[in-house]
Amino acid sequence: MPSEETKERIIKAVDFGRTILHYGWIPFIIYVGYTRSNPQPSLIKCVALLLSSRLLY
Amino acid sequence: MERSARPSSSTVMSEPSPLKPEASSSSSPFPVLSTGSSFSNLYNRFSTWRKSLDLPNPGTIENLTKEVKSTHLTNFFFDGGRADLTKALSANPAFQVTHSFALGSQTQPPSYNFGAVFANNNVFLQGGMDNEGNLNLRANQGWTENNVTKVQGQISSQVGHSMLQFEHDYQGRDYTLNFKAINPHPADWSGIYIGGILQSITKNLALGVESVYQRPDPTMSEVGLSYLAKYTSSDKNWIATAQAQSGGVLQATYWQKLSEKIEVAADLQMIAGATRRDAIATLGAKYDLRMSTFRAQLDSTGKVSALLEQRFAPTFSFMVSGEIDHFKNAAKVGVGVMIESSSLTPEEMGMTPADLIACYMHIALLIPPVVMPAHALHLSGH
Repeated sequence: MPSEETKERIIKAVDFGRTILHYGWIPFIIYVGYTRSNPQPSLIKCVALLLSSRLLY
Repeated sequence: MERSARPSSSTVMSEPSPLKPEASSSSSPFPVLSTGSSFSNLYNRFSTWRKSLDLPNPGTIENLTKEVKSTHLTNFFFDGGRADLTKALSANPAFQVTHSFALGSQTQPPSYNFGAVFANNNVFLQGGMDNEGNLNLRANQGWTENNVTKVQGQISSQVGHSMLQFEHDYQGRDYTLNFKAINPHPADWSGIYIGGILQSITKNLALGVESVYQRPDPTMSEVGLSYLAKYTSSDKNWIATAQAQSGGVLQATYWQKLSEKIEVAADLQMIAGATRRDAIATLGAKYDLRMSTFRAQLDSTGKVSALLEQRFAPTFSFMVSGEIDHFKNAAKVGVGVMIESSSLTPEEMGMTPADLIACYMHIALLIPPVVMPAHALHLSGH
């Protein structure tokens, strides 16, 4: 069994990871999509898309 | 000879040894290893025998009732107004974004959802964010042809509404293994853990067992077992399944393909617990026509429902749904449109009708202050 202090730290790390996932998941998909797409769309569309997803937060 | 004398009893040999087991074990130069090699021979004989049965893979446990689910309209039904605007940005690898609007439903509040999907041969990534800031996500990673790891979840800013599930599927020659962890917490390993196996017994019949280990906190835990059976006809035109869970929950389904275009399905769900006894039977049919799909369904709670998806053009389809609850004297109606735009040329960029509609709906519904920048961006994109 880990000590109370370690547990506290794990809980904090999990919460932090969840927050990163919450706000970073869609930008991550858009980033992956844009870098891997064929043909690669222009940057301005990427920015527009990111903005339209950002508007929700 | 050298091959069978090798101490490889524990490793899985992919191909059976061509040697006769008696000959190889007696000629082994190491008496200590002879038991090991006879074990490996036994294993090889067993796997050769198993291979000679030529049993098919039974499919995953998750997809046990897949055909029934895709025939019934329970998972497709909606009411009120709905619009899905999809923009395909790349075909291979697939990359698309979706704006979904829902309005006027009797059961759901009006909502907007932004979704993004990326998929290539091995990876599938999907995410959706609704107007309340709830994220739903799905990610699949295929390691080899038979190994797939899946993550799915829902993350909400509200406490207690988040769910994250990790899953691994292994599909063997004639069996499927599945392991799931729902909300595992690394601090105390609380959560729900599910392990299951589905094994083909004959060419038609597959049997399986799934065990659920629930551990809401470290002081308590509970194990439940459920049993699965699936019978597929030889021509794969009909499938019957049965599932029994430990709480007295039984489900039996039957699906049949009547012709190329017509599929019918029946589903019976029963709860025969100590405190509660209940059952629901559902009958449904699906017609696949050239440009449309029609689903109709009748269930024992008195509900009659239907859904028509009509595709007018490759990029535009229209949906109408309706449900009448005869016992409660209530009715629901839904109308939806799905517009898809693919702008793979830079000229179309930012100025397709769907984009304009999306843009204006954005402006009208959500965010008056950003009218100018969004508009300016679209114009400059053109």
